Amino acid sequence: MRNKDIYSSLFWIAIGAGVFYEGYDLGKGDLHNPGPGFIFFWVGLVMIGLSLFIVQDVLRNPPPEEKTSVWLGIRWKTILCTLISLMLYASFFVFLGFLLSTTILLVFLFKIAGPQRWSVAIIGAISSALVAYLVFYVCLGSQLPKGFLGR
Amino acid sequence: MNILDYIGIGFSVAMQPVNLFYCFVGVFIGTLVGVLPGIGPIGAMSLLLPVTFKSSPEAGIIMLAGIYYGAMYGGSTTSILVNIPGEAASVVTCLDGHQMALKGRAGPALGISAFGSFIAGTLSIVGLMFLAPPLCMLALKFGPPEYFTLMILGLSVLIYLAHGSMVKALVMATFGIVLSAIGIDAITGTLRMTFGKIELMDGVGLVPIVMGLFGIAEVFLNLEQEIRSERGIIKTNIRELLPTAKDWRDSRGAIARGSLLGFFLGILPGGGGLIASFASYAIEKRISKHPERFGYGAIEGVAAPESANNAATGGAFVPLLTLGIPPNVVMALLLGAFMIHGIQPGPMMMEKYPGVFWGIICSMYIGNVMLLVLNLPLIGIWVQVLKVPYKILFPLILLFCIIGVYTVNNAVFDIYVMIAFGVVGYLMKKFEYEGAPLVLAFVLGPLLELNMRKSLILSQGDFSIFITRPLAAGALILALMLLLTPLIPALRKKRKAIAVKEEEF
Repeated sequence: MRNKDIYSSLFWIAIGAGVFYEGYDLGKGDLHNPGPGFIFFWVGLVMIGLSLFIVQDVLRNPPPEEKTSVWLGIRWKTILCTLISLMLYASFFVFLGFLLSTTILLVFLFKIAGPQRWSVAIIGAISSALVAYLVFYVCLGSQLPKGFLGR
Repeated sequence: MNILDYIGIGFSVAMQPVNLFYCFVGVFIGTLVGVLPGIGPIGAMSLLLPVTFKSSPEAGIIMLAGIYYGAMYGGSTTSILVNIPGEAASVVTCLDGHQMALKGRAGPALGISAFGSFIAGTLSIVGLMFLAPPLCMLALKFGPPEYFTLMILGLSVLIYLAHGSMVKALVMATFGIVLSAIGIDAITGTLRMTFGKIELMDGVGLVPIVMGLFGIAEVFLNLEQEIRSERGIIKTNIRELLPTAKDWRDSRGAIARGSLLGFFLGILPGGGGLIASFASYAIEKRISKHPERFGYGAIEGVAAPESANNAATGGAFVPLLTLGIPPNVVMALLLGAFMIHGIQPGPMMMEKYPGVFWGIICSMYIGNVMLLVLNLPLIGIWVQVLKVPYKILFPLILLFCIIGVYTVNNAVFDIYVMIAFGVVGYLMKKFEYEGAPLVLAFVLGPLLELNMRKSLILSQGDFSIFITRPLAAGALILALMLLLTPLIPALRKKRKAIAVKEEEF
């Protein structure tokens, strides 16, 4: 709890400092004529002040230590795999097109979520991608990329 | 024109076949996402926001509003049958609703929840109809200083009502303001924090942020632990849905009080259905002659929170439609939808777009009737929906998030933004930071900055403009009082006690 708050506050101090500098760089103007950096300058300062307040509050009144860590027993592999698959999906989305990229993504997600047979994952992925395509592209007229196959 | 003429206009718009269709789609999807844990009204509304681009403004907003109040209805089903709230405002319904189900009274619990929701929803719309016109008249007298201080007050209430640390909520609000200021400066035309990216020139989109914080982050949280294949749904007779005469006698007061409280708490920024349901449950327990029954299947414990969270939806429309200030994240999305169609909600809306204004209000009457029809006879279908395992559901939630985000601007960049905010949202949950102040500050940010700079230009840099005008001064004093309460030990303890109670639920 204690470390958690300190680390997160240090992160916000860094962000606040960046925002403050950006405000200064853009030109904060003055009260008669606020410049484009006015809001960044002051909000950055407030962010730093609030984060420092959290740090001093934690140091002065340390909260009781939690019995178990919030990071304990987390299935990091599943979360990271999902995250990486989403990043890869976004990278190849336009090139592969909606149908192909979505099918590949869904097969992967169905497989990593739990014990699932390949046939179930593949059929589920293809049918889900097709239904989504029909609903959003055909019925609702949403623009979805066709990819290299559609060119 | 008097109010009856306006209602006539409203119903003529709401009863058009296309608007009836959109209303039905909205309440149907709302009920569905309310039933399904893991996807809430915010995610569903973000997903369907692009769909509204091609519809008329009233049809689009009618559908999005339907999702919001539909989710409030649907959320109770999972609370009662599975002891898992479909969405946050139904958390408290679990306490007595699930106990009733365990005792074989799932039917009356679901019944009173649907009837209570219907009555409260309808009463709140009546309240909205009568409160909106005078508030619009009053709001016409507001200038930039009043708008600026009202928005500061709105953010302060939201921060005050944050579950955890108020300072952390303030940090989130400042971060939201920074994000909202990215892009071209509205007054000078200067590029701000775009880092040379063309995609950032128009700023960061609301939908990728909301989908990331509330959709993707939620999926990551659910993936943390081993996914359970089946939920323990109560196997009980839910055919007899009509509450008995005694049930009605026990619940009528709770429904009336819940409706009234929910409506007024809904108006408050950050209040919404969640606070309303907790507050109404606490009040019912306190005034009951048999408080010991609460938590063991008291029907008032279902009727009061369900009425309150539905009444809060009507209340939440008041500040949005009359002042143009969204009181919560859902209303912020609706504000975005209005803006996309070139309509600025606020005091002039009723005069400029009476069809849209009253059409939306009247569609809520019709939507409430549709919900009653959807929720009672079709309860068996919703129970089947509950059986869909999460390992099937989560890839589909991710898919909907991607489609929803991409189709707003047809930009892959927005998918990256959504993923990034998914990670941010996940870490925020871990480090106990709330997403709501960030999103509301993000939405209010541009208006806040514009009105502050306008006020300072008007007053030639004199800050006293915010304290010499009575309404602005009042709002500012109230905001200051709320933000300074943690410094008063007694109030600090009380606030912490409320937060702990909510956590316990």
